[in-house]
Amino acid sequence: MTGSKFIKTVVLLIWAALLFAPFLFQDVRSIEVAARICIFIVLVASYDLLIGYTGIVSFAHVMFFGMGAYGTAIALDHIGNGWGPLALGTLCGLVVAVALAALIGLLSLRVKAIFFAMITLAAASVMLVLAVQLSGFTGGEDGMTYRTPDLFKTATKLWTDADGKVVRIADVKLNGKLAAYYMVFAVSAVLFWLMLRMVASPVGTVLQAIRENEARAEGIGYRVVAYRTAVFCIAAAVASLAGSVYAVWLKYTGPETALSFDIMIDILLMVVIGGMGTLWGAAIGATLLVLAQYYLRDLMGVAAEAVSGVPLLPDLLNPDRWLLWLGICFILLVYFFPRGIAGTAMARRSVKG
Amino acid sequence: MSDASLITRDLTIRFGGHVAVNGVSCEFRPGELTVIVGPNGAGKTTYFNMISGQLTPTAGRVEKDGTDITRLAPSARARMGLGRAFQLTNLFPRLTVLENIRLAVQAQTGEGWGFFRPVSRLTALEDKARHYLEATRLAKVADQPAAELPHGDQRKLEVALLMAMEPDIYMFDEPTAGMSLDHAPDVLNLIAEIKKDKTKTVLLVEHKMDVVRALADRIIVLHNGELIADGDPGEVMSSRVVREVYLGQAEGAA
Repeated sequence: MTGSKFIKTVVLLIWAALLFAPFLFQDVRSIEVAARICIFIVLVASYDLLIGYTGIVSFAHVMFFGMGAYGTAIALDHIGNGWGPLALGTLCGLVVAVALAALIGLLSLRVKAIFFAMITLAAASVMLVLAVQLSGFTGGEDGMTYRTPDLFKTATKLWTDADGKVVRIADVKLNGKLAAYYMVFAVSAVLFWLMLRMVASPVGTVLQAIRENEARAEGIGYRVVAYRTAVFCIAAAVASLAGSVYAVWLKYTGPETALSFDIMIDILLMVVIGGMGTLWGAAIGATLLVLAQYYLRDLMGVAAEAVSGVPLLPDLLNPDRWLLWLGICFILLVYFFPRGIAGTAMARRSVKG
Repeated sequence: MSDASLITRDLTIRFGGHVAVNGVSCEFRPGELTVIVGPNGAGKTTYFNMISGQLTPTAGRVEKDGTDITRLAPSARARMGLGRAFQLTNLFPRLTVLENIRLAVQAQTGEGWGFFRPVSRLTALEDKARHYLEATRLAKVADQPAAELPHGDQRKLEVALLMAMEPDIYMFDEPTAGMSLDHAPDVLNLIAEIKKDKTKTVLLVEHKMDVVRALADRIIVLHNGELIADGDPGEVMSSRVVREVYLGQAEGAA
């Protein structure tokens, strides 16, 4: 099996696991994790279009994510929990995100990469401050809690039996929560598939050409600034949609969940761990990091229990030190997989197994 | 004069106080291969850069088929049929040879914005790219990343990239630079092939005199940014002023 096939198989298995997640892992936390993985795969993959394919370093990706989330949240919070406000809010977030991306792109994609990165950092900071300051509109630090369309309410029965009780399949209630999860899954899967199509199409090669040799891409006839601006807008659009979906899923939007730089750092870690410039890597990186964030503490708790008789070890494995271990794992990963997991594996002609 | 495909009028560029190219006026016609010679630092590459758009002149104009292209972006000139190869190998290193060429083919077809249909299904692109791979005898290495090719093949790929753009004006900047004597003919034969097509205008910067003799229909000489000789190869190479420029440089270097 070639490395490339191996990675693709792994990613398809991840998507299969996500498809059946509500049935495979029947607790509230697992379904939260699965939804978060779906959304981060899309968010990280769209970031990979920039950093991995085109060689654009941006720190504003979380800002576009936040615009989608806030657009949807504000509409649901201020107008009402119907489908109309949901569509309107999502569309507004999308339009604002793409317009701002176009503006930043046209004004500053001509400048050197480092200046561009700084500009995006500044824009994202401004947006975070605005979201916190305009509290009448955005809920400020506390964010907004709102209701989503009735279909996604946990109490909604998608299917009732003769007694009017919600039908269960394999012990899973067919309720609104399940509908919400499959909405998240379907949107994420479609967006991921669209991005895969995009990188395999002519424009995908042009983006790589720009990354490889910008001057020559211009020299053979490609308008580099136009392509860069376009991909920046596309990535912003995808991030914004991911944000909207996340807002609907969480029924809450605040700076912590939609705009904070912690999310930007997570995106960067995921794309580096997974491997840049493959999209498949984004899926692997997002899955691993989200799983680690949710389960490393539990795992360490179990490990600490298991070695409770031994001196020192239980202390080291104390669940409170999970970030330390996550950091160590990250350093080891970068050391052994300098091009990320997918990048390193796909460069090999074959892997064992 | 209306038969000229490319004209430069009083083309001048200054970098600070230094005038790198000074008032060069010249016409280039289809079916003619013009070799540009001159000592190092004469302004040959700078002159090329102004024609292909990497540099914007301080004064003067560049015209292609009667259109002023002085201020157009390099990509716009490329789409108008002005193709340029570079002195240093200038490829897309991590893309395969086939991908490199396909990019050049695709740039001319307007397929570059296609974002849904997989490249692999655009067989017209692929066929055309393969045609140029065959023509340049690079078919065997089609799936290798450009960076992994031996230097000679990289230079061939550079020419193939240019051919795949199907320009009507070809600009080569020392196409055999760094190539061994055994391999240089591969590239030169390709240029000779291009020259056979009488609708193409070819500009070539070259140092090696045997190359100049074999290919040139006409020679122009740049010295300190100025055009000092223009004409039939035999005539120009034997003229006093050219001998002085070259001998003068030889003495200066010694």
